[in-house]
Amino acid sequence: MCPVLGHLDGRFESADAEAEHRITALYQEFGGPLLRHVRKSTGNDLQWAEDVVQETIVRAWRNSARLQWEPSLIWAWLLTVARRIVIDGRRRKSVRPHEVEPPEVDMLAVPDGSDRALSAMVVADALRNLSEEHREVIEQTYLRDRTISEAAEILGIPPGTVKSRLYYGIRALRVLLQDKGVAG
Amino acid sequence: MHEGVAAYVLGVLDEGEHEAFERHLDTCTSCQAELKELVDVPSRLDELRHIPSASEDDPPMSMSR
Repeated sequence: MCPVLGHLDGRFESADAEAEHRITALYQEFGGPLLRHVRKSTGNDLQWAEDVVQETIVRAWRNSARLQWEPSLIWAWLLTVARRIVIDGRRRKSVRPHEVEPPEVDMLAVPDGSDRALSAMVVADALRNLSEEHREVIEQTYLRDRTISEAAEILGIPPGTVKSRLYYGIRALRVLLQDKGVAG
Repeated sequence: MHEGVAAYVLGVLDEGEHEAFERHLDTCTSCQAELKELVDVPSRLDELRHIPSASEDDPPMSMSR
């Protein structure tokens, strides 16, 4: 065999092995924590959560340059990738014509006794402390699984305005949650 | 472009913009820093999704009786 080709074959093989090794390493490092996080947003749907984690790991492997980032940034990126996959799934699953509107924040009742309910109350409280403009864009995008442009159409304001209000609203919300000593 | 980090972290950017923002993120260290800061906010908001809504008679958010 031509020595040059032989050499190249060897390189391709080792590249494959490297890829496999990398994907296994990704699972080992992030698979468990990611699954725990994703399960919170898929309700009790473990199968769905596992699919989301798998898809997230594959995307991470395809974007290996990002895996050179520092670990806390990789983790933040993986969580964001996974969240996007969950939201896309939820949007596909929802049957638009029969969609039930989630309750407005002011209509949320908090059953006492559980940590989760208390924690939800803190979040609802923080949302209420935002300006109307900021609260509205958070409700009309994330809390209703709508994209920026869908929310812009409903609110009758430009998409750029939704995006900008969302930025300042989310930052303000984070500060409010931090003041209450519960934000990460 | 920087303001897109909140919409990105919430996963609500439209498809093309989502991809464009990811490319921006590759080189923008201030957006990388903000991504890390904001990444826990969506899961806090998720806590609101699982709460049953009040019956219409209840005053909003009443914890005290």
